[in-house]
This record gives sequence, C-alpha cells and structure tokens, in this order.
Amino acid sequence: MRETAAPAVDLRASWDELVAVAMLGTDRRNPPEATAVIADVVDDTVRSTPSERMLAQVAATVAVRRAGVLPGPARSPIAGPDTDDRPGCVPAAADRWNHVISSWPVLEDEWMLTLLTSGWRVPPDLVPELLTRHRSDQIRRARAELACGPLAGWLVGHLPELAARGAASTQPDPSADDIAELPSLPIPPDLEPLLFADGDQVARQLAGAIDSGTLVHAHRAVLINLVARMRADSLGAVATALEAIDGSSIGFPLASVLADLARTRQHMLDELGRP
Amino acid sequence: MTRWSPEQVEAIAPTPAALSAARPLTTVAKWAGLGADDRAVWGSCRGSGAEPYDTMVDHVGVASRCTCPSRRHPCKHALALLLLWSAGDVPETTQPAPVAAWLAKRQVSDTGRSSDTTSPRSSTTETTPANDAAPVGGATDTPPEPVGEMPDRDRARDERVERMYAGLTELDRWLDDRMRTGLADPALAKYATWDELAARLVDAQAGSLANRIRRLAGLVGASPDWHSDVLAELGLLHLLAQAGRRLGSLPGPLADAVATTVGWSVRQADVLAGVPDTDTWIVAARSDTREDRIEVRRHWLRGATSGRWALVLSFAAYRQSLDTSLTVGTAVAADLHRYPGPALRALVGARHDEPAEPARPPAADIVSACGEIGMLLAAEPWLDRVPFTATASIAVAGSTFMLADAGGTLPLIAAGRPLATLLAVAGGEPVDVTCEWTPHGVVPLTVHLDDRSIDIGPRADDNFVSAA
Repeated sequence: MRETAAPAVDLRASWDELVAVAMLGTDRRNPPEATAVIADVVDDTVRSTPSERMLAQVAATVAVRRAGVLPGPARSPIAGPDTDDRPGCVPAAADRWNHVISSWPVLEDEWMLTLLTSGWRVPPDLVPELLTRHRSDQIRRARAELACGPLAGWLVGHLPELAARGAASTQPDPSADDIAELPSLPIPPDLEPLLFADGDQVARQLAGAIDSGTLVHAHRAVLINLVARMRADSLGAVATALEAIDGSSIGFPLASVLADLARTRQHMLDELGRP
Repeated sequence: MTRWSPEQVEAIAPTPAALSAARPLTTVAKWAGLGADDRAVWGSCRGSGAEPYDTMVDHVGVASRCTCPSRRHPCKHALALLLLWSAGDVPETTQPAPVAAWLAKRQVSDTGRSSDTTSPRSSTTETTPANDAAPVGGATDTPPEPVGEMPDRDRARDERVERMYAGLTELDRWLDDRMRTGLADPALAKYATWDELAARLVDAQAGSLANRIRRLAGLVGASPDWHSDVLAELGLLHLLAQAGRRLGSLPGPLADAVATTVGWSVRQADVLAGVPDTDTWIVAARSDTREDRIEVRRHWLRGATSGRWALVLSFAAYRQSLDTSLTVGTAVAADLHRYPGPALRALVGARHDEPAEPARPPAADIVSACGEIGMLLAAEPWLDRVPFTATASIAVAGSTFMLADAGGTLPLIAAGRPLATLLAVAGGEPVDVTCEWTPHGVVPLTVHLDDRSIDIGPRADDNFVSAA
C-alpha cells in the first residue's frame, strides 16, 4: 500500500473514465491510470493484462464510491397544500372504507356523502386511492375532491396522473344537488314498504321470508339494495334477526351475507357521525 | 532445454479422456503464437469460442494456465500444447509479456512454499487454474488440495468447494472477457450470454451469484446510464469472485459474508442453533420483489435496545404464501438468530410476547443516515439494499422526487401509489420514513405517524402469491 497521503480525488470523474474505457473494451483502449485512493488499493497486486487491471480498478472504485455514499445538494422542500380545518375522520372509518370498496361497493356513495355532511375530511393516505378510483365519474370525482380538500388539487399538481379524465375532466362541474343526492337503487315494489318501516317489523318480515325460503338467493341483489337503503335505525334489529337464523336453515347463507351488510352499514354510519 | 516425453505428458493428464480430447488439438494449424523456452511453453488455441484460448505451461514448475472454461487442470489445451512441444513442433522464442508476468507471479508464490514440484507426477496438484491474478493482500488462490482418505461428508464438502472455486474462476475469466471486448459488445444484449453463465454458476453451487447475473442481464439497455450500472455490478462480481477464492485467508466474519453472498447455503437448523439476539424488534418495513420465478419478501426489523438492523426473508413460488406474521408498525419481543457474518439476515426464533403497536424505529437526519448506510456498505460493498429511517421532507427537481432536509437530499425511485401516498401524508412537512437504499436510489417503504405506520412498500402481485 502507498503510504503517501491521498490527494482529494474526484471519484466521479475517474468512474466516468472507467465507464468510457469499459464501453470500448481494453482490447481497444488501455485502462486509465488509477487515481491515488484507488491506486492504494490495487497497485500492490500483479495484474498482467489491461483487462485484469481494469477489473481491479472498477471493483475498488465501486466499493469506495458505495461506502462513501453522500447526500445530494440540499433543496427546499415542496410547499404544502392549503390547510384544511376539518377534522380527519377516525381511523376506523378509513378502515371501513377499505372494507366497503372491497366487499360492499354499494355503500361507497353513502360513505362519502355521510363523511361530507358530517364535516370530516379523509385521512391523507386515502387521498391517492380516492383520486385514482374516481377519475372518470363526474359526480363521484367531485365528491372525492370535496372530501380530500385542498390536498387533492395539490397532489394532482405534483402527480398529474391522478387528474380527472374523460367526462369528469371535460364536463362542467356538477351542481350541489347532484353531488348531495344518493343514487337510487332498483328495489321491487313489494319490498319498497320495508324501506320506511319500523326496524322490528322489517327484521321480522325479512328474517321470516328468508328462513322459510320465500326470499332466496335469486333475490340477493334486490335484498342488498334494500339493506343499503333502508332506514339507518332499522339496521341493528335487522342484523340481529338475520344473525339469529339457524345454521341448518336453507336461508342461512343469504341471511349471513345480508347481516354482514347491515352491520357494515350500521358501523359505517356510527363512525361517520358528526364530530 | 529438455523437452518432456509424451509419456510424461500423459502422466499429468487428469483422466485418459482429457488426453483423448487433447489429441485433436495437436496440429500446429490450430494454434497461433506458439513458443517455448527453457521454462515455459505457450500458445493460443482456436476453440469453439469467439476468442482463442491463451494457454501457457510452466514445464519446470509444472503448472498451467488457460483461459478456457474447463474445470479440469491441466485442461486439454495445456495437454495438447505439451504434446506439440514434446513432438518438437513448438519453436523456441522469447517469452511474451503475459507469460513472463505469470511466471514471475508463480515465482513469488513459490518462494512461500516448500513443496516439491520437480517431477511431473508428484506435482500435478500444483497445477493452478486460470486467471490466477494475485489477490489484494497477497494470499494464494490455489484451490484446496485433496488430503488423503477422509470421511464422505468431508469429501463431499471439498468437492463442493472445488466446484465453487472453479465456478468463481470461470466467472472471473468471463468478466475479464467483458473488459476486453467492452460493454458495447452486442453479445451483452442477448439474454443467453448471461443465462449460460448463470447456469454454469448454478452448477458450481454459486446460486446467489447466478441470480445476480440474471438480474444484471435486466440492466442492459434498461436506462440511459446502463453502462455505468452494469460496469459497477461487474466490478462487484469481480470482488466476490476474488474474495470467494480466498475464503481461507479472509477474516472470519468477512469470509462468512462472502461465502453466503456467493451462494454457500447454511442450514436453517444451524442458524437456529446459534446464540439468539434477543430484543424487542420493531417491524420497520416490508418490501416484496420478484426474483426470477420467486417472490421475495423482506421484513426489516430494528432492535429497540440494540438499534441493530435485521432482515427476515420469506419466499413464495407461484400460488405459495409469503410470511404475514410480522406487521409493519408493531414491535415483537423475540429471539433472532443471525446468519453467519456481518450480514443482516436472520431467522425469527422464539417470540416472548404478543406484538405491540404502534412502534416506530428511531429516525436520523439524512447525513447521519448516509453514514449508517456507508458503514454497512463498507463492510459488504455488494449489498443490494440497505435500510435506514430518516426524518425528511419531500423535494422535487424536474421529475425526480427526493427526501430532503437541511443536510442534503436522497433521490427517490418510487412511483405510482407509494409515491402519491408519501407525498399526501408528508404534505410539505417532515415525516419519519423507513427506506431501502439501493444503488439506483431510495425506495420508500413505510411512513411512520404518531399513531400508526403506513406500509407503502412494493407489494407482491396477488395473482402470483396466494393469501396466507
């Protein structure tokens, strides 16, 4: 090893030189002279060919450069979005949103509208997911941007791939009434009275019909719509009645599904109640 | 100069088959640059490869060197060269520089030995493999010599060491060819160029290096700076090939690290039998990557007391499950059993309590984080990923986002949802973030908040792995 003090060297420049030689190959061009720091490592070895000397220099330079990892020049952090004074919804509500979109997407509009009417904002980590999910639907995009607050526009400014597209980007902004209206779901006329009936009555009728086989799997879609739109104060009683159906009953699988939906909606509305 | 007889040449052939393979090469037309003097005989044999094989034989010290990929020593080219010489078909000339350098080096290493190398038969084990450049530090790179009768297990181990040694020698020769022909060589754009080498390394029990070679193939043409990226990786492979052939002369922990990096597998039972590293381990981050046809999950753990990092790996082939027992943002009191050497890899042993949450690792500023990364890379320059936790804001230059504080910046290589989540959570404020340093930039894995941690690391494709 050399004992002389190593002068300051520009490892970046010597690496660029090595790359240039490596492109051509040592059959065409000799490796550069090793800079002092690198020469200290490789000069005491017997390297009979240019390619061997080149390999030794490359290995030593990579090792030294890696061990000397340094930060790049300091830069100013990006300015944050305007402040949003609304409180963030509770973590359970954010978790519920993930459950809703994976299991009960029929509840997503209600989740969003309840959050907006209660005065919450969504937690920041949910914002990219919401903006990505609602890029094309004009009304849902508008709701998502309202729920995300100033962070939505700020994020889109930095990551244009999150911007609205299709109708959501070309049509005029939807009216407040359009945004606030919960979409209607198809429910057969004979089930419509259950939308507004007392909880115990709905629970009794629904559980009885499912247990007896009057309402079966073929009615699943409309029953889901019914539970998704029935009075919120009926949900607990309906869920309890459906959960009570015996496992041996023909209606048990359908009852379990609807009970889960009723409980999910009940918890969702509780979590998104006013702050 | 006394030439050998054909019988003397036959005597050093490792097998009769090697001699048979050599005979077709004993025509002068197949050779260029033939020459001999009172110490050596040399020449270049045109083989099946694009480049001729440079062969030289020390007929006094009885050793040979050849650039062919054969694992037999002496190879058929060295035997053919000796047969040509014994027949009087090699002219006497002066030694070319590479031969002189090789002999000089042999002279140096021979002075450190006392073994008898005068008779052809007694000195066959002195025949050294090709590409025997002296190591940094000057240790000998002769492969382990077989020692008399030994138990089968030791013999198997020695055979394995020899195979690995031969594989590393071949790797270094291949790297040398790359240096000679250059990175602009169109052969580098062909996957077969890399795959054939990887297959030979698998045969040589150097599976980890084979994986590295296959990953390296993916760097060719992948970015405007691919020449630099590929060259750096070739340099590290050279470092490993050289170190792997000198395990015996390396300090213990470094030798362990090199051996495991090259592909020397350690049985899990042996690791679990080691002294446990007991601590409360904060699960700081998770990162999934697909390597060939295997999904690899990395859990980065940090000791709450020791501050030491550890890496717990799990693997899943198609439709298999990855480890879900460690949840980011929790802490688990457990025994970790570390693999040999300074490497971070460990196995989780006994768990002493239920996971507690929330838990977050201590965070450093960017300059200190670079210092921590540098320490780990100084110990093992070939590491692909190094964990760190920093408190930083986000800055942007052009299209590159970076972690930033008053001390400097580190470029991020995140995109899509992970980057969007990091930006949204940070806003314009500093946040604690656990990342993996890689040679190409920093991958954000976890954003730590006061009440929870958000896992934003790369996640395995659900269509590939099955839920646990």
